[in-house]
Parts: sequence; structure tokens; C-alpha cells
Amino acid sequence: MDLTQAYNYDSFVAEKIGRWLNFAASPVLGVPAPDFELQSLDAGATRLSAFWRSAAYTIIEFGSLT
Amino acid sequence: MAVSSLDGLAARFRDQKVAAAFVYTHEAHPGEHFPHHTSFEQKLAHAREFQRRFKVQRPILVDSLEGACHRAYGSMPNMCWIMDRAGRPVYKADWTDAASVERAVLDLFARADRRRETRLPSAAFKVELLESRPRDQVAFMKGLEVAGPKAVAEFKAWALR
Repeated sequence: MDLTQAYNYDSFVAEKIGRWLNFAASPVLGVPAPDFELQSLDAGATRLSAFWRSAAYTIIEFGSLT
Repeated sequence: MAVSSLDGLAARFRDQKVAAAFVYTHEAHPGEHFPHHTSFEQKLAHAREFQRRFKVQRPILVDSLEGACHRAYGSMPNMCWIMDRAGRPVYKADWTDAASVERAVLDLFARADRRRETRLPSAAFKVELLESRPRDQVAFMKGLEVAGPKAVAEFKAWALR
């Protein structure tokens, strides 16, 4: 199974979701975090850095409909 | 399932130079109505439905199909981060709780005020804090029903494991 297929798991079962819960290995506080290109629903391609450079602080929530 | 509980907070702090965005990830609980993503177009459609259904006011940024951004930040289903202007995380939580985020933003403002008052350079240090949040299981299960019976059944099985 390739990465895209594994990341987009089709069932909420421990053997499929467990590998994606890696908060302990996430970017550390106080050190520049990785920047990514993302698709804005309203404004086309953009980057995380476009948001954090625009304000003193930027709140970023991750999630989905389900 | 992520509900847009931070929209009010984002609106409240907008005039105080605080931006906000929502990064759309994989489906945490894929079901019959909203299955796992097999194309970027499908992921965009789910994100648009999320925006419409929950009347999300913050910009929604859709991650790549393989979740490059989400994975780099730890892949938690509903995590929350606050970044400074240089892209440094100043707050990170493995779950989003509006009250916790509000406390963090207010504390950031208070520290900035203190720096201005004391005119002393600041030295950063890290704090770990175990937060808690109200857990409304009835509302959560109702939210899962949006995805479909499969998502509800899988979550119940997971919770009982």
C-alpha cells in the first residue's frame, strides 16, 4: 500500500490509524516549523507562511468533516 | 470530527493582529456519506461541504492528498497550533479546545505587554501543561452520524477495544 492510500485510510481501526498519531514527533516550540503549499478554498494556492507572516500570531486548526 | 468552534475566537482577535486558518486533512472517520479520499478533487469537495455545513468563517486550506503538511505536524485529527510571525510554534495542542486557545492568546498578549513595560529582553522557556475539556459524547456520536453508520460502528468498536 502506498503512502497516499495508507494516509487516506478507509476504516477507523487501530491498525490503520495508529501510525498517523505522531504528535510527540511534531515540530518543537520556538523553532521555525515547516512551511507547505496548501489550496485555499477561496483564494487558490497559498502557503502556511503567507498566514503567519501576515499577523503577530496565527491560530491553525487541523481537521476534517468527519 | 472537527467543528468550527474557533470561528468566534478568530473573529474576536482579528483586530488584535491574530490570523486564523483551518487545514483540511484526511477524513478521520470515513463513512458511507464521506468516504476516504481517493482524489484531490474529492478532498476539495469534502472541504467545501465542511465549510457550508458548519458555516466556517476562517480560511480553509486543503492539504495535499498525501497529507504532507498534516503528517509533518503530527497527524492528530483535530490539533491546534499558534505560530508567531517567524513561523515558530508558540503553542501546540493535540486537540483543539477554544478555551485553551483563548487562554494562550491572552497570555501571549500579556507577555508582550510585560515586555513593553519592563523594557527587558525576554528569555524563552518551555512549559508542558495537561489540559482537559468537556467531553460531550452524545454530540460527538451525533457528529459521526454525518459520516455514516460505518463511522459510528467503527468508533464504537474502537472505544470498546
